[in-house]
Amino acid sequence: MSASGDSESVDQPRPQHPGDDHATFSALLEDSAEDLYEHAPCGYLSTLLDGTIAKINTTLLDWLGYDHGDLVGRRTFSDLLTVGGRLYHETHFGPLLRMQGEVSGIALELKALDGTRLPVLVTSTVKTGGDGRPLLIRTTVFDARDRRAYETELLRARKEAELEREELKRLNATLQQTLLPPTLVNVPGLDVAAHYHVASTDMVGGDFYDLFPLSAGTWGLFLGDVCGKGAAAAAVTSLARYTLRAAAVYDPDPAAVLGNLNTVLHHEYNGHDPRFCTVVFGLLTPEGDRGGFRITLASGGHPPALLLRADGSADHVHTPGGQLMGVLSDAHIATATVHLAAGDTLLLHTDGLTEAHPDGTRGGGRYGDEALLDFVRALAPTTASDTVAAIRDLLDTFGTGVDDDTAVLAINVPRPTSEEQP
Amino acid sequence: MTQLAIRTRTTPAGPVVELTGELDYDSSAQVRALFPELVLRDGSQLVVDLTGVTFCDSSGITALLAARNHALAARAGISLVAVPDHISRIFQMVGLDQVFTTHPTAQAAEAAWTPPKTRP
Repeated sequence: MSASGDSESVDQPRPQHPGDDHATFSALLEDSAEDLYEHAPCGYLSTLLDGTIAKINTTLLDWLGYDHGDLVGRRTFSDLLTVGGRLYHETHFGPLLRMQGEVSGIALELKALDGTRLPVLVTSTVKTGGDGRPLLIRTTVFDARDRRAYETELLRARKEAELEREELKRLNATLQQTLLPPTLVNVPGLDVAAHYHVASTDMVGGDFYDLFPLSAGTWGLFLGDVCGKGAAAAAVTSLARYTLRAAAVYDPDPAAVLGNLNTVLHHEYNGHDPRFCTVVFGLLTPEGDRGGFRITLASGGHPPALLLRADGSADHVHTPGGQLMGVLSDAHIATATVHLAAGDTLLLHTDGLTEAHPDGTRGGGRYGDEALLDFVRALAPTTASDTVAAIRDLLDTFGTGVDDDTAVLAINVPRPTSEEQP
Repeated sequence: MTQLAIRTRTTPAGPVVELTGELDYDSSAQVRALFPELVLRDGSQLVVDLTGVTFCDSSGITALLAARNHALAARAGISLVAVPDHISRIFQMVGLDQVFTTHPTAQAAEAAWTPPKTRP
């Protein structure tokens, strides 16, 4: 507000100065309709019904770089459009305008004298005479460069987001792969198969498994599930995997291996963001003259393994009381030893399988341990690869009902070839 | 996204958290965010009422263990109340049935609580 001025002493307390309003209003009156037409902040254009330009304002001429004489009576509106725009004008804009008498907010591109393109939004109305016959077409043209820039920017941002999403999926897949053995090692006298089902490509899961040689012809195997998912869970998965492998070299006794894992996890993650895992560790020893393998399983709170016998029976290998790894400083670890004879198959799985919704929706019930036991009873006797193939098919039928990643690992002692031929 | 309702109230023994719905990966973050906000005094008791929990997976178990860590850090106790059968089975499987004190009702948990002796 001005500090000087004639009316200061009289009108100062008032917020309004009637004199100012008056001055503004007079200025508006001086703005003639003609001037408004010529220098409006948008382009104006009137054409005859055949499109010939009859009148065009200075704003639009300036945008295009033409002089009045270049266009009026000489060119049509469609001449100002790009080839694509002209086509659109002939096939859509014109017919719509004739039908409705008005077309509004159509995005077109005008071609300026210097060849540059000007994105615009066009609105046209048909002016009719007193008898209702169309006389001419009035068109307003709005500069849409800002809008076009905005749209281009939106498109670019969207493309970038899509690329980033792809990249994230790729990273997740890569990370997942590093947590699993690229191929399972070949154990003489044993048929092995494994499968990892990825529930979401957006989030890396926490399931893991491995099978690897230990000293004196023995083999170690494990399968586990880190609580939660995402990068934080993957870090625990990695730690668990390397700890298990290193601990097994140090002392292959399964209970000792899990004891070491428990100590490491409890030590590393025991604050307000605790991380736990359930795991089954097995030590496989060939039984020499007897044939087959002896396997000692240690469980840290993991769902029990399933043993599918050569005689067609199947049951859980219970390891009751084994505790979740990483919760307590001295977790209880339960062990069980079974003999795998020719034709026997041992299946390890994570709870992504039993907690899946069989009807494919998240609202329905869960598959459950009993259903899985019935399922493998129907499979026995079988082989490792057939068991894993059957579980893969089962997961496929669940579709999106599988919320969580699922890992399965099966080992089988093949029957001697002679037995297969009756 | 799954639905989980959380209600908290305070008793002389300490806070009571009532959970209703599915306690899984999506919803457990809510629960875990809540525990650090609870005021737990030395010798008080955190009660988690599971009456309305229809499902609990490994993330849910982790949230309950985070609650346990939080209570132990504050030298408070933790009790689970009205543990549904399906959660009892998981606790048995992962060997946590011996880790948590359980009570049939919140009243029973409160009655079992003994106030800490005043320090000299």
